[in-house]
Amino acid sequence: MPATAKKVIPHLFMIAYVVVILVPFLFVLFSSFKLDNNEITQHPFAFPKHFSFDNYKETWVKAKISVYFFNSLYLAFSAAVVGVLLAAATAFAITRMKLEKSSQWIYQFVLIGMLIPGNVLFIAQYFLVRDLHILDTHWALFLPYTAGALPFSVLLLAAFMRAIPHELEEAGTVDGMGAIRMFTKIILPLSIPSLVTVFIINFLGNWNEYLLSNFFISKDSLRTLPTGMVGFRDAFQMNYALICTGIVFSVLPVLILYTFLQRQIIEGLTAGSVKG
Amino acid sequence: MKSTLRNPYVYLLFVLPTIILYCMFFIYPTITSFVYGFTNWDGLNHKAFIGLDNFVNAFKDAEFRSSIWNNLIILLFSSCIQVPLIVVFALLISSVKRFQGFYKTTVFMPSILSTSIIGILWGYIYNPDVGLLNSILKNFGVETIYWLAEPKLAMFSILVTNAWQWMGFYIVLILAAILAIPKDIDEAAMIDGATGVQRAWYLTVPLIKPIINVVIMLSIAGALRVVDIVLVMTGGGPAGSTDVMASYMVNKAIKFGDYGYGSALSIIIFAIALILTALYQLLIARRQERIEY
Repeated sequence: MPATAKKVIPHLFMIAYVVVILVPFLFVLFSSFKLDNNEITQHPFAFPKHFSFDNYKETWVKAKISVYFFNSLYLAFSAAVVGVLLAAATAFAITRMKLEKSSQWIYQFVLIGMLIPGNVLFIAQYFLVRDLHILDTHWALFLPYTAGALPFSVLLLAAFMRAIPHELEEAGTVDGMGAIRMFTKIILPLSIPSLVTVFIINFLGNWNEYLLSNFFISKDSLRTLPTGMVGFRDAFQMNYALICTGIVFSVLPVLILYTFLQRQIIEGLTAGSVKG
Repeated sequence: MKSTLRNPYVYLLFVLPTIILYCMFFIYPTITSFVYGFTNWDGLNHKAFIGLDNFVNAFKDAEFRSSIWNNLIILLFSSCIQVPLIVVFALLISSVKRFQGFYKTTVFMPSILSTSIIGILWGYIYNPDVGLLNSILKNFGVETIYWLAEPKLAMFSILVTNAWQWMGFYIVLILAAILAIPKDIDEAAMIDGATGVQRAWYLTVPLIKPIINVVIMLSIAGALRVVDIVLVMTGGGPAGSTDVMASYMVNKAIKFGDYGYGSALSIIIFAIALILTALYQLLIARRQERIEY
């Protein structure tokens, strides 16, 4: 008996933890199928009686969640892709090209960026964006997102590329390859695992970003999901069934990504924080 | 052999876009923050140099002082209450074989979601009329509690939400370190008759001290970075009781146009972050010798 008890106790604690994590999501999911606040208060824990997707249709179309969703999607995606490619090119130059002195300098210089907490630069970036006359356009988010990911991406990709054996380029040089072709044909394909990791981290960061998106964009049609959702909540304060639908729309894509790529996501995010 | 890998033009082609973007969005804003911090700029035309006035005012500003205090509460809560719990949960997950992957995936999940969405989600849970929490408490005959509207409760409610979002991230971080410890140490202790709790406390915890230090460092940095959740859940209210430094700085700058003052506040946040990290490194982290195994 004590032996089984010993085995069960850790599970009991962990199940309690898991319940605390999952119950809010279930609550939101159930609420999203309910008619209105009235039904929520009367049966807060009841399984929805009818699976009507009316709320989903209504939020997606009327409440412009679709607009926010696609804004977020293409901004997060494009900034992450461009950021990864720029960082990969830089990492290639400083780890594989033979200008060691400058490479050392550039590497150190870029890493200083990791010391600066993001929200410290908020006001100055606001004016930079204003002076560039891109306030209230998607450039105002695309550029800071891309730039913001660079220090960390260069760090991770440089660490990875340094470990690729040098014989490969020597073979390439003998075959008469230029540096650019060496980058695109040899190093980039070999780095795909780390490129994916860096892409995921940047994508999630951009997808979830709130502060810049909230203050650099004021046109409703340009908003991203995190800010659009806050506006949506403030506008529909009274109808939590609709708000929950919005939450499901914003959380679902990330959770789907997570179920397929959980290993890469967990490894990438934890490695990023420890190294950074 | 003249290698193409020595070609400085190609090198520039690879490096320049990154350097330009980096300078534009990191180096230049850092410099201008420092410049603005010494002016009374309102964003339009007057930009007069006023020396250290902004910094003197900041420390006289009772609201800013209370926002520093709130950051401190978050910091103490996360390093004194969350970190021990994180270690315990990581030990618990590491001790089971079945469902280990499931526990790990589930506890990590909230940390990949947007803080603003989590703020909305928990705002709903805390909602006095339809929220989950009051619905549960009602069954025990508890009166309606205004979680986010009561100045004394609001900060606590935010702390719980913040812990809910981030604990799993650190649990996974520590779990990875625990699982990397060679099994034979643990087995040797087991043969010597040490109980599970003894092995956890006398073996595993000392061995993972370096990573616990990392977690404390990250918690300190994280406590100073808290801003989204406050802006989304309470906007700093009620009556400024949940304002943190960053949310106060953002509101001062954007709502009131006090850009000079706001920049000075951001420099102070930066300085506090540097000082706390350095202090922690000097006082605590450096004292501990590295453990090899």
